[in-house]
Amino acid sequence: MELFSGYLRNMLSWWQWSLLALVPPAIILLYFLKLRRTPLEVPSTYLWQKSIEDLHVNSIWQRLRRNLLLLLQLLLVLLAMIALLRPGWSGTRLSGDRFIFLIDQSASMSATDVRPTRLDEAKRRTHELVDAMPAGSRAMIISFADRAQVAQEFTDNRSLLHERVDAIRPTARGTNLRDALELSAGLANPGRTANEPGDAPVAAAQPADVYIFSDGRFPSVEGFSLGNLSPIYIPIGDAQTGNVAVTAFNTRPLESQPDKLQAFARVANFGPEPAEVDVELLAGDQLIDASRISIEPGGEQGVAYDLGEAEQGALRLEIKSHAAPSGDALAADDVAFAVVNPQRKIRVLIVTAENPSLVWALSTARASDLADVEIAEPEILNSGQYKTAAAQGTYDLVIYDRCRPEEMPQANTVFIGQLPPGPDWGGDKEAKKVAAPQIIDVERSHPLFQLIDLGNVAIGESVILAPPPGGTVLIDSSRGPICAIAPRQAFEDVVIGFEIVGTDKEGQRYANTNWHMRASFPTFWFSLISYLGGEADGTQSSSVRPGQPVRLAARSESGQLTVVSPDGKQTKISRGTEGRYQFHDTDALGVYELRDKEKTTGRLAVNLFDPSESNIKTQPDKAIQIGHVDVPGQTTWEGTRRELWKWLLLSALVVLLLEWYIYNRRVYL
Amino acid sequence: MPSNNSPLLSPELLAKLERLELVTRKIFRGRLKGERRSRRKGQSIEFADFRSYVPGDDLRLLDWNLYARLEKLIIKLFLEEEDLHFYALIDASRSMDFGDPTKLRYAKQLAAALGYIGLVRADRVKIETLGTNNAVSPVLRGRRSLWRMLEVLDAIEPGDQVPLAESVKRFCLRNSGRGIVLLITDLMDKDGYEPALRYLVAQRLDVYVVQVLSKEEIDPDIVGDLKLVDSEDDDTAEITVSAPLLARYKKTLAALTSGAQEFCSRRGMNYLLANNQIPVEDLVSLYLRKRGLVR
Repeated sequence: MELFSGYLRNMLSWWQWSLLALVPPAIILLYFLKLRRTPLEVPSTYLWQKSIEDLHVNSIWQRLRRNLLLLLQLLLVLLAMIALLRPGWSGTRLSGDRFIFLIDQSASMSATDVRPTRLDEAKRRTHELVDAMPAGSRAMIISFADRAQVAQEFTDNRSLLHERVDAIRPTARGTNLRDALELSAGLANPGRTANEPGDAPVAAAQPADVYIFSDGRFPSVEGFSLGNLSPIYIPIGDAQTGNVAVTAFNTRPLESQPDKLQAFARVANFGPEPAEVDVELLAGDQLIDASRISIEPGGEQGVAYDLGEAEQGALRLEIKSHAAPSGDALAADDVAFAVVNPQRKIRVLIVTAENPSLVWALSTARASDLADVEIAEPEILNSGQYKTAAAQGTYDLVIYDRCRPEEMPQANTVFIGQLPPGPDWGGDKEAKKVAAPQIIDVERSHPLFQLIDLGNVAIGESVILAPPPGGTVLIDSSRGPICAIAPRQAFEDVVIGFEIVGTDKEGQRYANTNWHMRASFPTFWFSLISYLGGEADGTQSSSVRPGQPVRLAARSESGQLTVVSPDGKQTKISRGTEGRYQFHDTDALGVYELRDKEKTTGRLAVNLFDPSESNIKTQPDKAIQIGHVDVPGQTTWEGTRRELWKWLLLSALVVLLLEWYIYNRRVYL
Repeated sequence: MPSNNSPLLSPELLAKLERLELVTRKIFRGRLKGERRSRRKGQSIEFADFRSYVPGDDLRLLDWNLYARLEKLIIKLFLEEEDLHFYALIDASRSMDFGDPTKLRYAKQLAAALGYIGLVRADRVKIETLGTNNAVSPVLRGRRSLWRMLEVLDAIEPGDQVPLAESVKRFCLRNSGRGIVLLITDLMDKDGYEPALRYLVAQRLDVYVVQVLSKEEIDPDIVGDLKLVDSEDDDTAEITVSAPLLARYKKTLAALTSGAQEFCSRRGMNYLLANNQIPVEDLVSLYLRKRGLVR
């Protein structure tokens, strides 16, 4: 079978073959029917009789010889039949001396409409091309999904190229051709930075043929100049392939009962025919709920399941499609995962001497649902316990009211009436205070001040702020900025220049502003908590796309987390310089467990959820656009196969001519 | 290519033939006085010898001048000039009716040419046909008989199959005279040509065997699967033409001709293989001259 697929290709169905198989017997039959000897009168058969007698000795040879024309006719038919099998072996000699093979390894290339998979087909064709490379030519292999990766630099070592092609594995990622093209262009267009007239190119341009093996499920590459690259696009896959995919799966609290969870999913049918799909929701291996839906071609349907009391763990949604003859060629998007993580409250620390209005604003019902608020005296800033907690990032948000720490904590901060330490905000110098600034402008587009109206707020005195680069002024006054936000590593610092409650020289408290009496005051603090504390919720239930790096806001006393991949691989990650855990190895689909010293602290779901990858219908006749160049798909693959059928037909023609010649010119064997 | 309907002998050929003469290596006694010098003494203008008269001699031969001088009866002898018997035996079997020109016509032309030479030289010319039982052909003599000879030749048609030996035997019985026999045949006799030739040898004739073969026989131009039908006895041979078969055929033919040649030369006969593509004048003036039949 391997030989058959390698060297021969069947072009006919069985009944066509059986018709063809009738031809040789028919020729033989006709030959015997025809074998009525023409009578010819000769002067005497005397000599002929004698000659025949002599020749009867080797009559078998005679029989063969006399059937020369028959044999030639049979040979002709045989050649034609062999030609129909399209014998050949891989590879015409490619021309050129530099080749770049771009192999799409995105999720859609795992589709099985081309057996065994599209990626395997692409690899097979690449192998053929590598074999067909002229001697001494060099090739580079780039695999690409959402990112491109050089699998092999330019080399003329073919066994190495074969090895590297074999090493390309399917991924569940999206597709981005630009990256791969830019990698390819690096060598082919070296003079890109030296295109000014008179500039000598850095190196000689090395034109290359770029073979793109893909199913074409990616957007056009805009604004890319091919330069010395000659692209050849080889579409792989079937235009009529069906696929049913889960395009979204998540859990969320019920609106009416926030303590109950609901799972919802969207299932899309990308096939050309209506599909009937069984949707099963499982927790672990236990079936929770199931339903059957039918989806029109190109349509999408949502399903929702009530989960009842939220239990932490992982949910799995599986679809099994029925009655879709075109099948479900891509398996990666038939399963989706969602996680229910323990509700974790935002930890807020307020360091304040005494500020009842602030404490009150942070203890509203909604705010206390969201956050655990700790209140501490400024003296705590010097304690070791605080320092450890601040350095470990125990708190999500620290509010310093009229005080400041020696070092900034690993948390988002809000400073009231004080500048943060360090030179960024100018905190190393004496703060300049102005009296009675008039609020001129409020940055309404920032989430913190979206619903805030400060039109009737008066301010006694305030520090004029000079936010560091990247900062945003939130409140501008007649005297200068009095409230600003600026990023610091992974965190953000909000500085409010004016005190809410001031202390005069006698130690008496007084109100520096009337803001705390306005309705906007608690709203602002609630927004502040949800905005600055909200990032902690990053892995709550949302899904991560494969290959995407994810920032984990998990806390760990040891500063180390273990992530268990769906395939059981354990990865230890340390807290990064920004105080967050970064996890990159999200290639596998499924649920990742976050462990802190063998204790599961959270989960992370990685799902495909990419309609452009799930829509696996290849469009072989559609050109891909690279810059301003349309690269048409090479739908026929004969080019890289050294085919024999032309020669066979040619030799059949020669046999025909020979037969004609023998018949007419009386050539005898 | 001479057509089968043109005159057997063209005027140019006739003019050429007039300069030729039939030659025999054997001395034969002619019946009539001819133009041929004989070893016998006889009546001619050429003096040979004297001898004494013996009773019974022709008185007319006495040399009266010698008698007057010597008073002896002396007879003056002259060289005798004789005629030559020339027989042309034409095989008129159906196998001769092939080729272009047909072998029969070629045989007729050859017989006519040599017969004409004989006629011009006042030889006794007789055209005999083998294979047909027609009447005894006339004996021809003298230039005037050319047209009769041609008539006789024209009248020859391919006839029934008679074995070669049988007809030669019949000829030998009918014609006991000595002379030159020109046997024109294709020698294609399934019983073999040897008995026929032996009859001729026994007659102590000066025998010339001319085997006429057509181009088609020497170099067959046939192809395919054929059923060959013998023109004489309707015998068939199924063949598929192939190179070895043709080679074998040519070998067989060569064996036939060389066998005949050897057979003839052993018995003092002359053998000549004639292809019907060689013009008769060439055959006569070149080949037969070389063989010594004409000079």
